[in-house]
This record gives sequence, structure tokens and C-alpha cells, in this order.
Amino acid sequence: MRACLGWALRGGLLGGLAFMIFGPLANLVLWAVAIQWYFPYRLPLTWGFKYWGEVFKPTSDTVAALGTSVLIASITVVICLMLAIPAGYALGRGRLPGRRLILLILLLPQAFPNIAIYFNIARLFYAVGLNGTIAGVVLVHAVHGLVIAVWIAAAAFAAIDLELELAARNIGASSLRAALTVTLPLAMPGLIASAIFVFLESLDEFTGTFFVGVPDITTLPLVMFTASLAGNYQIAAITALVLLVPSVGFMLLIERFLKAEALAKIG
Amino acid sequence: MQRTAVLFAALAALALSLPATAQKAVTLNVVTAGDQNMVDYLKDYLGPMFEKEHPGVTVKAVGTGPGDAGSQKIYEKLEAEKANPAWDIDVAVIHQKAAGEMVGKGLLARYSAEIPTGKLVTSEAAKNALGSDVGGYVMPMFNSQTAIAYNTAMVSDPPATYDALEKWVRVNPKKFGYNGIKGGMSGVSFVVGWIYAHSPDTDRLIKGPYDPDTKKSWVPILAELAAFNKNVVLTPGNAGTLDMLNRGEIAMGPVWVDMFYTWQSDGKIPPGVKLKLIGPGMPGQPMYYVVPTKAANAKLAEDFIALATSPKVQADGIVKRFNWYPGIDTAAVKPQLDEASWSKLFVDVTPEDLATKGKPFPLAPYFNDILESYERKVQ
Amino acid sequence: MRAERSNLGDCRLGILLLVAPALAMVLALFVYPLGMSLVSAFTAKDGKPTLENFAKAFALYGLDIVFTLVIVTVSTVLIGLLTAAIGGYLVLGAHPVAVAVLKSLYRWPLFIPFIVAAQCMRTFLAKNGIMNNTLAALGLVDVGSLSGLLDWRGIIVTFVWKETPFVALLVSGAMAALDRATIEAAANLGAGGLRILVEIILPQVAGVMLVGLVLAFVTMLSVLSVPIMISGGSPTMITVDMAFRVNSYSDYGVANALGFVSYAMAGLAAWVYLRRSVAHGSPL
Repeated sequence: MRACLGWALRGGLLGGLAFMIFGPLANLVLWAVAIQWYFPYRLPLTWGFKYWGEVFKPTSDTVAALGTSVLIASITVVICLMLAIPAGYALGRGRLPGRRLILLILLLPQAFPNIAIYFNIARLFYAVGLNGTIAGVVLVHAVHGLVIAVWIAAAAFAAIDLELELAARNIGASSLRAALTVTLPLAMPGLIASAIFVFLESLDEFTGTFFVGVPDITTLPLVMFTASLAGNYQIAAITALVLLVPSVGFMLLIERFLKAEALAKIG
Repeated sequence: MQRTAVLFAALAALALSLPATAQKAVTLNVVTAGDQNMVDYLKDYLGPMFEKEHPGVTVKAVGTGPGDAGSQKIYEKLEAEKANPAWDIDVAVIHQKAAGEMVGKGLLARYSAEIPTGKLVTSEAAKNALGSDVGGYVMPMFNSQTAIAYNTAMVSDPPATYDALEKWVRVNPKKFGYNGIKGGMSGVSFVVGWIYAHSPDTDRLIKGPYDPDTKKSWVPILAELAAFNKNVVLTPGNAGTLDMLNRGEIAMGPVWVDMFYTWQSDGKIPPGVKLKLIGPGMPGQPMYYVVPTKAANAKLAEDFIALATSPKVQADGIVKRFNWYPGIDTAAVKPQLDEASWSKLFVDVTPEDLATKGKPFPLAPYFNDILESYERKVQ
Repeated sequence: MRAERSNLGDCRLGILLLVAPALAMVLALFVYPLGMSLVSAFTAKDGKPTLENFAKAFALYGLDIVFTLVIVTVSTVLIGLLTAAIGGYLVLGAHPVAVAVLKSLYRWPLFIPFIVAAQCMRTFLAKNGIMNNTLAALGLVDVGSLSGLLDWRGIIVTFVWKETPFVALLVSGAMAALDRATIEAAANLGAGGLRILVEIILPQVAGVMLVGLVLAFVTMLSVLSVPIMISGGSPTMITVDMAFRVNSYSDYGVANALGFVSYAMAGLAAWVYLRRSVAHGSPL
């Protein structure tokens, strides 16, 4: 009897949790295939893929925005890695003078609510002509992603055994060569993870692009936002699903790279 | 590893240089404030028409968003590039308040006398934008009007005045929705209409002179609006109100007449929803075509506007396809349309309604006072 | 001896050069605009120092400021409770099937961006959304009287939905790394699951939990998409008001004053964190 009650409770709670987690996602999927849906109908009145046609026609805003988003995200990843790898190496390995201060400065973008920073950056960019350009948006995304990238890179480098690099130097490699050919490849999995994080953060970034990119640069989140506020829930839902594909895909992939225990160590 | 690095670097260099790559064809940059229907008008109708008449020219249309915020963005952009030799906006479509401000700052060119359609506009709205003299600097794109949309399935006897609406809302809580003053001008219009309805001297608000103490007299009026708000739903914007009407979440709400008819013809509003212009009146406004003083392609811009304000385009595009009231004089447009197309604009809101209850927005300083007082007293 | 020296041949300058570009970027694109923001909050339109931006911000948006604090604090508390529950069950749960199901379930919202979460919730919590319809179908509520949760409560729901997996992931990792001996000892002495959770496990992971909650708190303070899309009107979060001030009036003074208020709120969270970590001697 107690066992049955226990299972009922467990089932109920887990079922409730599943509903709360998947319900909103299911609602999204429903709107993606709905054509007409008014209250008080519980399900859409007419179904179909009409809006998919509208969203994916070659001249649509969405396809252009997708291209822009992917372009911006790719460049952001490149820039972040170029900056984060040396910084992570120095922080994770070297005896850095003022390490605490540097870590603090690098951590600032995550420690402060950054919306006010964004509209001030926009003002700054207006003055130098960077507002509304791809370069401007990339810079904003890169600053945001830099923190994660450096964090993960530092952890990745710190986890590599110093002995391996010293062994390489012992047989005559210069320190730079040892770093590049021994340490860097070993840190690869962590660096790839950070690249993926930065890519996703940039792809999904909304607030910064809202201030710095509008009106010339349109990314996928902005298209989704405009469609949603305009009441175009079908288009918003389809665009959201497009945004979700890389996110969910990488979530399944990332299980391989980041175990929960490793994340706990970083904290 | 090295190859990928080189590849990435090349990609980055290519992307960053893209804006600088010269295009052989000329691009006409048209930036418009307002909802998505404004952008659609340019992209799907006017742009292709202009491109056909001017081979080698590409029309690039960009929207900056609804409400005065959209116009503000255009203003900010031009202000920021003031010192540059050539600006990157050739034609802008903006609201009245921004037009007044921009003329004052010398950002707009005086062009309407140069184009053939300039003499087709004789209305007051083309000369006066909320108290600022803009004659010669603007051409109205259209005239629009707000009205209350109501669902006949849920509301059999819609209220005819603001007072009646107030009583109705008390009896039917959460069935009326509007967007406050953020996110769209339909809500702003409703609030202005509320002030007009309860103010003793509406004419002074519209024509002036401006008296900064007037806002003190609005305190009790706004307190009533705050009480009214407790029984309504606040929507996210113009489209938000229409959307909630569509989905039956609200039964009534203020809408732009043109947006309403466009949504209805797209099947996004059920046929049972109708319009009513309530008394003593609700505001409407034109939006203006303007040419920035240092526009890179000023002559082309003027040609574009001349096309947009030609009687044929006003009849076909503005009235027939997009359900706006024409920007140029009625006498020039009506002969271009058949009776059915013309009268569909006046099905629920008759020309008589428009004449008596269609009001302009107030003088710019009063307008700002209304907006700020709403934020202080009602929110 | 060589093992203790830094790798790049002891070149301090070299190491600093490695960090310099990243530092420069953060200084130029974060610290400098932060400075601009602070100065702008205290400067009037004519350039003189003043407090009038703050006066205006409080007069127009005082209610929203209070609500922002309420929304974010309530969300953080709820996230904490849910995290403790989820983490606790994952560690102490006796039924492997249920534990496995929970493990695969709770992580889903983690990689869903705020803006997509906002869109999902916009439709889920609406009057004709699945939540209302299901509750109505189960007979738990009367459909006519429902108004949907599309106001400040919906913002809390969305925040909790989106941030709980993140904090739960951190905390459950820390819990999994704990020495089971203490747990088993307590169980042997007859302590029930809840007691073990509260008295043995949570104190040991409190540090990680606090880090996660503070990060979540600060993140939520900065979100714009969720309040704009979910809550149509007042009261709402000050991020919406900041965007409104900047976009509609170019009023950077008041917008930055509101920004200062949000820094102060974040500072509050950071202070709570620092107090604890100083007391317990943890790193950073």
C-alpha cells in the first residue's frame, strides 16, 4: 500500500515536472503548425505548413537573418578563441602577477546586469560609426562570450599535467612550440566546448543586438521578437524552432564534453 | 589546425569587408518607422514598382519599429551622422512629432515644391505637425485614424462615447484591452482621446498656446484613467491588441483603421469584428515622407516620393491594397478608384464620423506632457 | 625546481602580453561603458552633476523598481528550493528509474535561450494556452474566469523555468562529488531523507549553491526579452523601462539612473556572496 502511494506520488510529481518542462515547448510546436487558433478552442482550428513556406521563401527576412546570425556567431567564436586561448593559458598555467585582479576584471561582464552597458556601448558606437554594423554586433557578442571562453579555457589548461609540457621542453622544444604542439591539443575538448558555448550565446543573443544592431542588422532572435510582438505567433514559433535546433543538438553533444562534476569544480 | 585557422581568418576578413564592397548598382535607402505593414508596403509594392521604372536602382527598405520610438531611432541616426558628408538614409517615413523636431534641427530638406505632386496636397496636416511648421519639408504618405474595434459575438451594443466605455468596462472587467503608451500609437491615441474627452478646452490642446500648468488640471482625469486601467488588459502593442481580439482574449480595443482592415483581409481577424469611432473623438495622424538634407541620393529620393504620392499609387497602393486614407487630397485620388474600393474604407467609420470625431494629435509640448503625466500618475 | 617556474621561460611580460588583448577588450567594451553609464546617471542634460535623473526615475518607475526586486528575489528563492529538491532526490533517491527519469528531464530548459523561453511561455500561459486548457480539462479551474498568467507572475514562472536547470546542474554535480560516508552514517542513525538533505548535504554544497544563485540573480536582472514579451503593462521590470527611455526619448540620464539601481541590486547579491565566502575562506 505504501509502495503504491509512493509510486503515485513519484509519478505525479515527475509527471507534473514533465508537463511544466515540455508543455511550453509543445505549445511552441503547436503554433508552428497552426494556421488559425482562437479562444476558446483548445487546439488550432486549421493546421498546415503555410507559414513555413512564408518563413523559408528565399526573399524572406528570416532566411537573411539566419545567415546574419550564423555569420556573426562564427566571427564571434573566432575572435573569442583568439583572445581566450592565450589568456586562458596564462591564467591556467603561468604564475601571473595580479592574477586575482585580472580574474576579477574578466569576470565583470557576468557580474553586472549588462543591459545598461549595452545602450551605452550603442552610444559609443554611434560616435565611431560602428552602430548598426556587423563588426559592432560581433564586438558586443565577443565581450559577452569572452568571460565564458576564458573561464573554460583556463580550467582546461589548468587540468593538463605540467610534466607533459616540460618533457617536450626537455627534448629541445621551445616553450612556444611545446605549448602549441603538446598543451593545446590536449586542451582541445575543453576549447571546443567553450567554442560551442560562445557560438550558442551569440546565436541566441538578443539584448545587445537590440541596442547596437537595430535597424540595419537583423538577427534571428530579433526577427522572432518582432514577429511575436506583432502577434505573428506562427512565424515566431517557427523561427524559435530554428533557433532551438543548434541549441538542443549541442546540448546532446555536450554531455560528452562536460560532466556535472567538472562544472562543480569550476564553481 | 593551421588550415582551419587560415580559413577562419579569411572568412572573418571577408565578412568585415562586405559593407565596404562597392556595389555597381545604386541603392536607395528607405527607412520607415511604424508597424510591419509599413515595411511590407515598401518591400512588396512600392519598391519593386520603383525598381522597374529605374533599372539599376535597388530599393532597400528597413523598418525601425512602431510608435514614436521608431521615428526617434531615425532622428538619432541622422543626428549621429550629422558631420558626415553624405548620410545613409535617402527617404525616411516618420511620425509628426519627429518631423517637427527634425525640421527644427535642420536635418530635413525642403523638397515638396520641387516635385510635381507637391501641389496635390493642400491639407493643414502637410504644413503643421503638432504645432511645428513643416510646410515644404514633408509629403503625407497617408492619413490614418484610430477607432475602437469590437467583437459582435461578445458585444451586442458597443458604447458610443468614452463615458459609456468607462461604465461598460466596470461591468465587463478584463474584456477591453489597449497597450498603454508603450509599444504602439493605438494606445497612445486612446489616452489622448481620454484627455480630450474629459478636458474642457480641447481646441487649445490642439492649436495652442501652450501652457505648462495645464497638466495640473489633468490629475483627476488621469486618476480616473488609472481606475479604468484596473479593469482592462494591457496588451504589448498595436498588433498585440489586434491579436488578442483575434484570439477572443479581449472583446474591444483601440486599433488603427488601416491595420484593422488589412488584418481582416488577411484572415487574421474574424469577420464578426467591427469598428466604432467613439465620441467626442479619437486622434489620427499622417505619416510623412521626408528627405534628409545630406541624403546620398537626393534626386532619386525625390523621384521615389513623387511616385509614392502620385494619384495612381495613392489610389492603388495606399487605399486599395493597404486600406489607408490617402495622403494627398481626396479630389485627386477618388476619381482613380471604383466606387466599391473607395467606399470600403468608410463602412464602419463614415466620412461624417471622420469629420466630427476624427481629431489631430495635440501640440507637441502638450503631447509630451500627456505622455509624462501618464507615466507618473497612471502607471 | 624547473617544475615550479612558469612555462614561458619566466617571462612575466610575456605572460601579461598573453592576457592583454582579452583584458583590453573587457576594459574598452565593458568597464568604459560602465563608467559612461555611471557618469550619465548623475549628469543633467546641461552637463551639470545632479540627482534629478534619480528623482525622475523613482517618480515614474518606483513601482517597477520594487517589482523588479520582488520578481528576481522570489525567482531566486524558488530556484533554490527546486534545486535543493532536484539535487537531493538525485543523490538520495532510492528508485533508479525515477532518478534516471528526473536526470533526463530537468536539463531540457538549460539550452533554451531566454527569448525562445519567453515565446513559449507567451503562448503557454495565455488564456487559450495549453496550461489553462489542461487545467480546465482536468476540471481544476473554470475556464471563463481565468485570465492567464501574462503579467509579473508569468515573468517569475519563465525565470524559474529557465534558470533552475543551470543551478541544479552545478549543485547536483557538487552533491554527487560528496563523500557518501557522511550520508550513509546519517542514514544508519535513522535520519530520514529530508533531514539528511537539510542537515548534511546542503551545508556542504552551500558554497556552490550560492554561486549559482548569485549568477542566476544577476542574469535575471539583465533580461529584456522576457518582460517585454510576457508582461504587457505595469508593473514590469526596469529593463523594459530602460529600453523605453532610450528608444522613445533618447533619455540616457534616466535610463542610466535605472541602470545604477540594477547595479545596486546586483551589488546586494554580490555582497551576500562575499560575506559568506570571506567567512568560509573559499577561493575568489
